[in-house]
Amino acid sequence: MAAEVHAIPGARFMDPAVLARIGNLELVSRAVADGFINGLHKAPYFGASVDFAEHRGYVPGDDIRRMDWRLWARTDRYYIKEYEAETNMNFSVLMDVSKSMDYGSRGITKFEYARILTACLTNLVHHQRDRVGFVAFDDQIVEHVPPSAKHMETVLHVLDRLKPGRPGNLKGPLHKLAEHFGRRGVLVIVSDFYDDPEAILDAVSPLRFRGQDLIAFHILDPTELEFGFSDAQPFEDLESGEQMPVVPEAFREEYRSLVRAHIDALTRSFAGVRVDYTMLDTSKPLDHALYKYLGSRSKMMRIR
Amino acid sequence: MSFLAPLFFAALAGLAIPVLLHLTQREKKQIIRFPSLMFVRRIPYQSVRRRKIQNWLLLMVRMAALALIVLAFTRPLLNRADVPAGGASAREVVILVDTSYSMGYADRWARAQAAARDQISKINASDRGSVVLFGSGADIQMRSTSERSRLQATVDSAAPSPSATRFSPALKVAGSILAESTLPKREVVIISDFQRNGWRGEEGAKLPEGTTLTPVAIQDSVDKPNLSVTGVTFTRSSFSDQQRIVVTAGITNRTEQKVSGGSMTLEVGGLMVGTKPVAVEAGSSASVVFDPFTVSGRNTRASVRLSEDALAADNTFNFVVSPIEPVHITVVDRGNASSALYLTRVLSIGNAPKFETVFRQPDAVSDEDLRRSAVVVLNDIEVGDPLAKRLARYVEQGGGMFVATGPRARWPQDVDTLPATVGQPVDRTRGDAARVGGLEYGHPVFEPFRAPRSGDFSAIPVYGYRNLTAAMGAQVLARFDAGTPAMLERHVGRGRVLLWGSTLDVSWSDLPTKPVFLPFIHQSIRHLAGYAEPQPWLTVGQVFNTSAVAARGNANQRVVLTPSGRRLPLDDEGTDVLELTEQGFYEVRGDANQADAIVAANVDPAEADLTPMDPNEIRAAAVGGDPESAGTPSAVPLTPDAREKNQRLWWYLMVLGIVLLGLDTVLSNRMAKA
Repeated sequence: MAAEVHAIPGARFMDPAVLARIGNLELVSRAVADGFINGLHKAPYFGASVDFAEHRGYVPGDDIRRMDWRLWARTDRYYIKEYEAETNMNFSVLMDVSKSMDYGSRGITKFEYARILTACLTNLVHHQRDRVGFVAFDDQIVEHVPPSAKHMETVLHVLDRLKPGRPGNLKGPLHKLAEHFGRRGVLVIVSDFYDDPEAILDAVSPLRFRGQDLIAFHILDPTELEFGFSDAQPFEDLESGEQMPVVPEAFREEYRSLVRAHIDALTRSFAGVRVDYTMLDTSKPLDHALYKYLGSRSKMMRIR
Repeated sequence: MSFLAPLFFAALAGLAIPVLLHLTQREKKQIIRFPSLMFVRRIPYQSVRRRKIQNWLLLMVRMAALALIVLAFTRPLLNRADVPAGGASAREVVILVDTSYSMGYADRWARAQAAARDQISKINASDRGSVVLFGSGADIQMRSTSERSRLQATVDSAAPSPSATRFSPALKVAGSILAESTLPKREVVIISDFQRNGWRGEEGAKLPEGTTLTPVAIQDSVDKPNLSVTGVTFTRSSFSDQQRIVVTAGITNRTEQKVSGGSMTLEVGGLMVGTKPVAVEAGSSASVVFDPFTVSGRNTRASVRLSEDALAADNTFNFVVSPIEPVHITVVDRGNASSALYLTRVLSIGNAPKFETVFRQPDAVSDEDLRRSAVVVLNDIEVGDPLAKRLARYVEQGGGMFVATGPRARWPQDVDTLPATVGQPVDRTRGDAARVGGLEYGHPVFEPFRAPRSGDFSAIPVYGYRNLTAAMGAQVLARFDAGTPAMLERHVGRGRVLLWGSTLDVSWSDLPTKPVFLPFIHQSIRHLAGYAEPQPWLTVGQVFNTSAVAARGNANQRVVLTPSGRRLPLDDEGTDVLELTEQGFYEVRGDANQADAIVAANVDPAEADLTPMDPNEIRAAAVGGDPESAGTPSAVPLTPDAREKNQRLWWYLMVLGIVLLGLDTVLSNRMAKA
């Protein structure tokens, strides 16, 4: 998949920090998604659509309305016309806006990264004529835009207004949402997943159980991965306000291994419940996320 | 301990640099806000802690090493006095025993004596002790002796005196004893009830450096009833040519309980003339008014006495009453009513003193008149030779003479008594009238006019005056605007003469019609008569001028009889001043062994206020505040050997510092490997 992505001409890998400075989410999302779509505008599967794809031979049970009568007249054979698929699925981004997301060491915070990512995905999906929705949550549901083909603008507007504030908790809001999303669709969870892997799994399971396709984007700042501090300093937890004296030199190795273990545990856990999990660090261009999404998406829509 | 090179201590400031850096860095260190400490929290904290403590240890070792080396460079010197054997702890002890009358309260004095004996018993054979008894003054009873028995005897024979408490003189005396001492340890013990009134935070009561001051407070927790007489006031009245006096006594109760059931008696001339019941609320005052009594003779002794209580000394208040005696004046004038009108009127006014005036013509002045009169006024008359001589003799024997010079005034040239020769009259009726100025405000006659708006002599027009030329030994008290003297004074023998250059009627000046006339004449007469308000009592500690009361007696044979019955001869050397040290009546007796004057002496009522103070206040002021440092004995010169021995400390400090530096190296190496 990755090789295929890089081969695509015109795909622009824009620095997220540069994107964050643009400010206009619609412009950003369009810039990213449009460039991205250039080579991928054609859906790789068939369905009910106005775009003709190809003919195939009639087999009993096919809808006779789809038979190409003109071709029958010329060839005296029954052919069925096939069209590009119209997906019409529900697509919602569940974005974590807890306080811990408001952290960035490289010019862009995780929150801004997540916002741009959401905007781009929404834009991309909207281009594919799917219904887009949006949910922002911390320990409660902060914003909710129900999926609709007309809600692209609303989503961008809501995204624009958002601010991270309170401590986060996945379980409460996600369980509540599981009740809400009756119709099956694709849910993208964007979060920094600061919780025990078991607890996270427990939080997403009801969604999965109801048949939603889940894609999890784990957003982390490079500093959170590397722990590149040098001086002994007190650290304060953004969410709880708790302070701790920390000697990074002594902590670094242990910290890195703990984070790696966490990511590994999440990968395993999500894989176990067939959730696509991607770890993104905010220094990487957004295109990675989009490819990841599309890759997942294509896997989900069983290719003919 | 002292230092030979204390400047090196400046290097210690360098020690602070790593610590300061450490501290400031710690303070400036920003708090890092991190999304979640979820993982950090899982890392065992102990390892961090241990690492920090190890760093501290290293820091402390390094700093200690540097400090020791710096200390070694300052060459510390031990002030260990190598005095001969047995003398290392020899003490000079000054025991100050408070003998103010408040020590007579309850059993305070017995306890004070016990405390003094206790202190004396601690004096060793090598020590020396002094006993100083103090009240308002301090008295060295026994100076610098090792004989404990003598010191004990001094304390045993002492008793509370009627004086008030003053700590400052006692401390100064103690300081002088200690300053002369050669012993290494100096101690002062104050045994007192530490009354607040005795200490006013005096400056200068400093003891020599290194003195230990030990206060021994003799105070009572139980508040026993105690009343004190604070003073008496008199109300005089006349009743059929006799003076009657109503005595009002003030009583204060400074204790916490009401005192009732007692009584107060008034004794006059040794006889009890009245008793009144006394009841005073806690912490308040009351007054007792006695029935009037008649004062028959001069210098009558009187006392008010309260019934017995815990403090006896403040129960009695003595005073002396006398009938107010008039000042006898003989006015010599021409027998013309108008010329003496104003003078007559002025002298008929006044109660303290009352003036009794007789008028005589120059040829009618008898010896009896002069003998009775305190002052003779010559009101513009021509004085013949015989009268002038008699008057001169009168003045020399202590009489006073006021001379007013009008157009008729004349005094024989050969009788040198007046302060000036009386010249020709000066007529100032044309043009501007003369004015009086240049007043000698320091003189008793003009002293009342010293303050602004208290009488203006320059506003009085004088139309005529006699040209006066001051005689030898005369003092010019005022001048006319032309510069000639207006008023002069001269001491002749034991008497005084005042000469006024104009008249005392309105013929030559407006003075008699002006407000200043009355005080001017009254002051002049009082001054000439030597009149002074009688003082009914004095306080113990005050001084009494014996010359003032017995002015006319033979000074050489006077004696003073003290309340305790001692006879103090007043020698002719001029020591007329007597300090009152006892409570009671002092008598000044003249040559006929009769009482010329009686002085009542009372204890200071302020001393009856037993409010205690913190003895440490005195200690702080006397030994410089730090009771710990005060115990260091003063240095005695050392031999060079001993000096060298005492300086050897630097060597050990240096070695210890270097050892610590080595330890530091080992420690840091080991930590680096770990």
